[in-house]
Amino acid sequence: MNAPTPALVARPERLRLVGQRRQILAVMHQRLMLGMLVYAGIIAIIALRLIWLAAFGDHAGRKGGLVDLTPERSDIVDRDGQALARTIDAWTIGLQPSKVIGNKLDLAEKLAVLMPEKDAAAYLAMLRSGRNFYYLRRRAPPRLVSAINALGEPGLALEREPDRLYPQTSLAAHVVGFTDLDGKGNAGIERAFDERLRDPAQRGQPIVLSISSRVQQALEHELGNALATFSAIGAAGVVMDIHTGEVLAMTSLPQLNPNDAGDGTPEARFNRATLGVYELGSTFKPFTVAMAMDSGIIKSMGQIYPCPGVLNAYGHQIHDYHPFNRPCSVAEIMMESSNVGTAQIAGQLGKPRQEAFLRKMGFLDKVNVELKERGRTLTPGSRWGPFETMTVGFGHAIAVTPLHLATGYATLFNGGIYHPATLLKVDRNHPVGAGHRVFTEETSYKMRALLRLVVTKGTGKRADAPGYRIGGKTGTAQKLIGGRYSNSINVTSFAGVFPMDEPRYVIVAMLDEPKATPETFGFSTAGWNVAPVVSRTVSRIAPMLGVRPDMRREPNMAEVLPYVHEKAEH
Amino acid sequence: MSARGFGSVLSAGAVVGAALGFYLVSLRVASERAALEDVETRIALTQRDIRLLQTEIGTRGRLAQLERWNVKFIRLAAPNADQFVDGGFQLATLVAPRKTPAIEAPVVLAAASIPPSDNQSALTGDGAEAQPAPTPSRPVNEMMHVASYTVPQPKAAATAPAKPVVARAEALQGKAPAKTPPATKPIKTATSDPLAPLPGAGAKAKGSAPAASAVGANPKSKSKDSDD
Repeated sequence: MNAPTPALVARPERLRLVGQRRQILAVMHQRLMLGMLVYAGIIAIIALRLIWLAAFGDHAGRKGGLVDLTPERSDIVDRDGQALARTIDAWTIGLQPSKVIGNKLDLAEKLAVLMPEKDAAAYLAMLRSGRNFYYLRRRAPPRLVSAINALGEPGLALEREPDRLYPQTSLAAHVVGFTDLDGKGNAGIERAFDERLRDPAQRGQPIVLSISSRVQQALEHELGNALATFSAIGAAGVVMDIHTGEVLAMTSLPQLNPNDAGDGTPEARFNRATLGVYELGSTFKPFTVAMAMDSGIIKSMGQIYPCPGVLNAYGHQIHDYHPFNRPCSVAEIMMESSNVGTAQIAGQLGKPRQEAFLRKMGFLDKVNVELKERGRTLTPGSRWGPFETMTVGFGHAIAVTPLHLATGYATLFNGGIYHPATLLKVDRNHPVGAGHRVFTEETSYKMRALLRLVVTKGTGKRADAPGYRIGGKTGTAQKLIGGRYSNSINVTSFAGVFPMDEPRYVIVAMLDEPKATPETFGFSTAGWNVAPVVSRTVSRIAPMLGVRPDMRREPNMAEVLPYVHEKAEH
Repeated sequence: MSARGFGSVLSAGAVVGAALGFYLVSLRVASERAALEDVETRIALTQRDIRLLQTEIGTRGRLAQLERWNVKFIRLAAPNADQFVDGGFQLATLVAPRKTPAIEAPVVLAAASIPPSDNQSALTGDGAEAQPAPTPSRPVNEMMHVASYTVPQPKAAATAPAKPVVARAEALQGKAPAKTPPATKPIKTATSDPLAPLPGAGAKAKGSAPAASAVGANPKSKSKDSDD
């Protein structure tokens, strides 16, 4: 009984073994537990995620992006909201020669039928070349796209890409400008406001221009007719609100189609209204008279100057188109556009005052407008002596843009305050540009009758539109050809304001190198070719602009009429 | 005991049911949201189409195009100063009062030689110079003018144009024929005309002789279509 039974007494090695197994078991349990916890944790995370998605998440059918209507580039609209430039999705047809699986010869022939701008051989050459991609057609019409799609060739890629479209085609092309193939602005507003047009925060809102499409169309049409009639090489026109400086219409002919700007000639791309500078001749004379009135040199429209046929000054001769050969009043000088008389007034004014006035009117700097195509004024510069002061007085030896001239007339007739021209509509978001006084209000008032006289009795008779009280000044300047002033090649212009009894709008029209026609009796001066353009344009646009024709209203002509020498009736 | 045993099951069931309910609500919300988004997408697509179409219309109807049509075909010009008026009063002064056409305007039923010269203007006058005032009291039978289109027998031909017979103006206006007792009177010529058809023949327009006799014989059947 004392002997220990081997079964009851475990041998020490066995006991160790049991201990070890227990330890191993415990470890295994721990590991299992850990694994289970990890597993449960993952499942819990998935479950929680599912619940979260079910409660707050997006559902599978959600379509993102389509709701976004913001165009790639913001629209440009006119002052009435009519679109001048828009971005639309256009179809593009591309060719990927490496992906073509059909018979290349057949495909080339079918393409030549559908798109006849290239022949089958050219298409075959494209198909056989190793290049990855060709553009076959951009801005393809839907019918062509469906026909191409019907070919069922995987090598033909049909894609939609944003494309800039100008619905009014060439209307206001030089104002709106155009973009290149990558959608970057290359001219006009497209160029000047490129950043703003592409800014994602602002491109939902269109840029509202001050241009009025209907006024623009009338101006372009009438100028275009004159361009054709008188075989001029170019023309420019501006219509402007004299109180705000808003440009209602601005054109430069020959015109450019911005939808196909690449095909435009350099001549058509050139903006004559803001980039071209011209010696605008007699249209400068009102400025000289106004400067002299402001400086106290001219005290009355009846002030008399000697007006010989030829004025000898500083070794040069100044001629008149309609020589007086008698003493003449300021009113007559303006009425008959006398160079001799204006030169004397400018001579009295002197260079310092003339230059100061011109600088205040912005005539010595680039024209102040949003566009980047702005020409530099040409002045006599260092040679600006007494004689040049005289010639600048009647618009020679100084070259400015037509828009300069319009701004100048606006300054002269809105009460004497210069406002920079603007192509953006003036409203709450875009106030009138800061102005400064150039002429006194009295001068501005007195000039009304003077310029109305030019139209009723002087050189600008053909610019009159009955009832609209146009006042203005013709200008015929000889062109510098090879360093010499030509006798036959002119730049003719007319700068006018209407209605003259309460000026609201200024219109400037210019023809570059108009030719004489039988209807003008061989004349190629402004009174014969460009003045009728103004008359017709004003008759069309004035009712649109809210100017009522009235045969009974006139500016105060008593200021000037007593000083006009009437021809005796025979 | 048993209730306590099922308690946990019930509560578990309630939790599952509630969870399921919440899930269904959430599902419902999600599906509504999806439907809403579909509508929004459709609106956006439609707006895009509208924009495209507007662009196309604008391009096709661009001002330069309209101008070209105007120059070639329509030929509208800007109004000149005289065409503007100050207001309604001035507009009214421009319009001369229009003469209202006389209600009693006589109508010639057919062409025939008309001997009397004094009432010729009243008979043939068209609206503008018709002056019904001078002959208001003239008997209707004198204004009547009968046309005879075939007059083979010289005896009848002599009598037929002599007595003109004209339909009354009221008949034109579509008044009831019962109110026109004078219409029964003027049928002297019709009875004397041997060529006249029987009374009761259908009244015809264009004032042929049979029509006149029909008028006389049967005023009730007088048709209103004796126009022209």
